[in-house]
Amino acid sequence: MTTATFQLQYTDTIGFVADQGGRGFHLPMAMVIRGDGRIFVVSRSNTQALDIVGIQMVTRGHEFSGQIGGYGQEPGNMIWPTALALDRDDKLYLADDYLQRVTIYGRDGAVQSTWGTKGSAAGEFDGPSGLLFDADDNLLMVDHRNHRIQKFTRHGQSLGAWGAYGDGDGQFNLPWGITQDREGFLYVADWRNDRIQKFTPDGAFVAKFGASGDGDGQFNRPSGLAVDADGNLYIADWGNQRVQVLDAAGNYLLQLRGEAKLSPWAQEYIAANADELAARATYVPVFDVDTADANEVSARIEPYFWDPVDVVLDDDGRVYVLETSRHRFQVYEKA
Amino acid sequence: MPTVHSKQDVALMAHLLRRAGFGVTLQELDHCLDQGYEATVEALLNPQPDAVPEDLIRRYHVDQSDLRNHAAGAAYWIYRMVQTQAPLREKMSLFWHRVFATAATKLIQARMVANQLDMFRDHGMGSFQDLLLRLSRDPAMMMWLDNQDNHKGSINENYGREILELFSMGVGNYTEDDIKECARAFTGWRVVNPDYMSIRMRNNTARPYGYIAWQFEYDDTDHDHDDKTFLGETGDLNGADVVAVICRQEATPRFIARHLYHFFVADEVPVPQWPHTAPRDSQAIDLMCQAYFDSDYDVSAMLRALFNADFFKSEAARFARVKSPVEMVVGTLRLAGGLELPSPDTYAAVGVCAAMGQFPMNPPSVEGWQGGSEWINTGAYVQRVNFASRVLSDPGKPGIQAIIERIRDLANGRGLSAEELVDACLHIVGPLEVPDSTRGGLIDYARSWGDVSFADAASTAQAERTIVALLQLVVTTQEYQMV
Repeated sequence: MTTATFQLQYTDTIGFVADQGGRGFHLPMAMVIRGDGRIFVVSRSNTQALDIVGIQMVTRGHEFSGQIGGYGQEPGNMIWPTALALDRDDKLYLADDYLQRVTIYGRDGAVQSTWGTKGSAAGEFDGPSGLLFDADDNLLMVDHRNHRIQKFTRHGQSLGAWGAYGDGDGQFNLPWGITQDREGFLYVADWRNDRIQKFTPDGAFVAKFGASGDGDGQFNRPSGLAVDADGNLYIADWGNQRVQVLDAAGNYLLQLRGEAKLSPWAQEYIAANADELAARATYVPVFDVDTADANEVSARIEPYFWDPVDVVLDDDGRVYVLETSRHRFQVYEKA
Repeated sequence: MPTVHSKQDVALMAHLLRRAGFGVTLQELDHCLDQGYEATVEALLNPQPDAVPEDLIRRYHVDQSDLRNHAAGAAYWIYRMVQTQAPLREKMSLFWHRVFATAATKLIQARMVANQLDMFRDHGMGSFQDLLLRLSRDPAMMMWLDNQDNHKGSINENYGREILELFSMGVGNYTEDDIKECARAFTGWRVVNPDYMSIRMRNNTARPYGYIAWQFEYDDTDHDHDDKTFLGETGDLNGADVVAVICRQEATPRFIARHLYHFFVADEVPVPQWPHTAPRDSQAIDLMCQAYFDSDYDVSAMLRALFNADFFKSEAARFARVKSPVEMVVGTLRLAGGLELPSPDTYAAVGVCAAMGQFPMNPPSVEGWQGGSEWINTGAYVQRVNFASRVLSDPGKPGIQAIIERIRDLANGRGLSAEELVDACLHIVGPLEVPDSTRGGLIDYARSWGDVSFADAASTAQAERTIVALLQLVVTTQEYQMV
């Protein structure tokens, strides 16, 4: 174990369950931050609240700017959104696992085009679950049910692929997220192998970090991940309901379990409902639980992460942790 | 050389697997016949844990991760019933869900009912005393029957009443005073943060950050420690003491045995009539009561006695009950096979069950579903037939392929007559015994599709279409609706 030279301090929670519409998110799956500070969060929602399926836009200052897209198969709409990415021109790319396609939106939010064909041949994909623009502005896609990474031009022309099913070096088992460091190395959350794999920009295997488990440096189905300027990795350890931080060599540094407080949107809601305001005053989270099931623990303890699915960093190094089942993201800063 | 089993053995084993599970596939039937009847009963009573791909389910169906939504929770359960390798354990969860009826509509979050069902899976075939104690600590049950409002000096008798009336002994075996004393014994039994959880439940709100799952908590400062007299026993009785007293009563196994008889053997009159109407088979009830006391209150012992008894095995008991919507839907999905993960079929199954009057996780009242003949009316029949016909329409599903292969083996290189084909399909799906008029109609239908042969690719494809069409018609018969 390596001693961390920094700690992460909780600073804020942004979100609210928008299960009946309005300001907030519902079962969000991915987020991305534009250079001007606009934050895009895509909500999958459920069959009873399809109006909330779409890409919500917010800022770190809790400003809500509405939604792009909606539920459905028409261009611009989505069924099972999984990933977001921004290209050099700030066009927004959305991956949809159900529709097996990529949708491109302009800066104004208008849909520009869609592409994608389900399959396993070159250029086809089955279950896009991670998107990333590399230094050359090519699109890297985690083609998860084909257990491989594919590279495309911005317009969807195939530039190659690597990986296959398995647990050997360079092989994958239903991978999820992908990120790239400043030196160009790529990191993939090899979801069902409970590890992170590191590759050269061309896809040559470099290293692997982690193993199955809930100890330090171990993983239970890692999903989204990000890397900072120093090469430290921030990994949504989804099944363990936590975020782990590794150094550039893959050594465990620290972990977060979540410590959300009421966002301004949450405070406004509670303040407007007198009975809930009075009852909320009696509410004290109980951390002593009678279960070892991490998912159930998170369901019982509101400040904890519940299904932390994605980790994103902004230009100032803040860490944003998106939680599917709590409909919010928590913000941390180095201290 | 496979063992040849008698028609009687096949029919009896199929009866066991229908009643103790959700129907039978050819592979299961063959395996169980080789194993023998009593060994199959033991295997059903002592299952291994199911391997459930929770990670895949939660990744692809995020609404089954937070389990807030009722349809998602029910779809998750349907999937578990279809996929289980432990059909009796899953069926006993359905049994206890009916007896200890708890509905997600009031609780708002389906997760709490899902957790209760997990408890039934883990403990539903063990000690009844242990089960009743766990039920009394179950957060869904606490909130369902308002025990968070049951305080020292100010009792709420909902749980105290229902544990006696509906969950253990039945009306006529206790007094109104016993109910009040029972409620006093359960004061201080509640969930964590009861006030906030109650308000959120009442307001039906997931705000601000989704539901907070409940956890049991015992507050000794809110418990009434004064002496109580319950069913003749006096002392500073707490909830666990009351449960122990209940389990010692003769009325308790009689009540549970009658429920088991109604669920697994033959329809009983509705529970409110039990105090005034003798059981259909008093000897059957006596047998299960004896097993209960001989085994220190073991539910498995009662089930073992039931499944090995002549009253269960008798030919008169077979196909004598109407399949509940869940039994029909799950059985048909198991017959078709190929459901690796929750799918649109599982969500559709929930909708069909709900339309037929049995929305899983949502019993209509604390008395659960009566079932029996009330499951069938014209509208419900159409729902059944349409669902089964649609599920069995795909010859690519593994279960359908297995049926086709079995019929191909039967053909053994020659053609099959319409009569042979109909008899084969009825045998595979049941074995079903249908009236001559029904069999005649099926034969006419099969004949209209032409001869069945597997001589070449074209005739094989035609044979597959014929078999699928015939299966779709077989599941419309009255006999297929019976269990």
